[in-house]
Amino acid sequence: MLSQLQTLVREVDGRYATDTELMFLQNYLQTVRLRFSAYQKIQKAETEIIQQVKKKLKTADPQLLRRGKVDLSAKWQRDTMRGLRYCAHALLVADEEGLEESFLLWFQSIMRSFKAQYSCDVTYKVMQDVVGQYLTPQEAELFCPILAKARLLLGQ
Amino acid sequence: MDIPSAHSHRLRQQYPQRHNHYKFSDFFQFNTSEGTISDWNGSRNILTSEDFIIGLLEGLEEEVGAASAAVMYSIGLEWGKQDSLFFDQWFEREYKVSPQQANLMFLLETWWWPFTAQGWGRWEIDMADRTQGFMFINLFDSAVARTLGDVGKPVCYLYAGLYAGFFTEMVRKQLSCIEIQCYSMGETYCKFLLGARERIDAAAFWLNEGATASDIEKRLRSGDSV
Repeated sequence: MLSQLQTLVREVDGRYATDTELMFLQNYLQTVRLRFSAYQKIQKAETEIIQQVKKKLKTADPQLLRRGKVDLSAKWQRDTMRGLRYCAHALLVADEEGLEESFLLWFQSIMRSFKAQYSCDVTYKVMQDVVGQYLTPQEAELFCPILAKARLLLGQ
Repeated sequence: MDIPSAHSHRLRQQYPQRHNHYKFSDFFQFNTSEGTISDWNGSRNILTSEDFIIGLLEGLEEEVGAASAAVMYSIGLEWGKQDSLFFDQWFEREYKVSPQQANLMFLLETWWWPFTAQGWGRWEIDMADRTQGFMFINLFDSAVARTLGDVGKPVCYLYAGLYAGFFTEMVRKQLSCIEIQCYSMGETYCKFLLGARERIDAAAFWLNEGATASDIEKRLRSGDSV
């Protein structure tokens, strides 16, 4: 929404915006309550969400967060917390485009340099299931596509 | 310690630990009262049009003819060497670790991000042959090639020089670089070969003889020399 708003301001110069150009604002206003409530729930449950994802990851593959003898759990936790916060912010302001530009593209290159694509793929897949326990189906419907985008970009 | 000046990046002063700062509005700072643009690392930037790039290359070609390629390469080489020293400083300041101690791929990605933010394109490094003494760099959306369009020959000499200069300084070994595939030859992306001078000279010879990038890759991997 924020990126679209900037585009709108740039393109609607010296004229009135058309109904089509304003559609995204209508859509945002229709979903804003859901976005706020989902954002607050994620904020409140952040630690639990991260811990649950970690537990599921370790159960499925005990070696996933290890490289040889080195335990990467703490690093994974910091990275995942940061990812979740940026995704939650994108949900609040309905700005997937901004998420990609300000975080995902950069983080993708960093994850690739550490060959962490697979753990990112699994993390953001599992996270979609876990957040479903904390959000209503309508809220999850707004948030899961954002996590899916993070999975798509960071997991390859 | 950074002494705040007119060119200090205000967002960086506020969030010195923030690493994902490559969004246009985050990375650049427009100092309107001075009419300057600085970036996150304190470098002075200027915005140029495609006409500027065409003017620069064509003007140079008019002045020095075929030597313009060598001139652009030399400019890139010097730029790369200087940028390597500049990079060492800002990398250590930002990550609190010396470049020598960092993961190599992470280090290189971090070096290239400001270039991506400045519009020089995204890259991908293929280090599979590093132990053999050469490596490939794929560049997507080269500012030079994108501007010149399909002219049927490689045009990114500035980039080749930049990579040669940066890596020479980084590994403290004389390295050369050649563009073996270019968007301006109708390819979808540009490809550079980086290595010791004799290898690059061999690749240049094969390229002149009509070899493609994949021919050159095969010959290098099979240990061919001229």
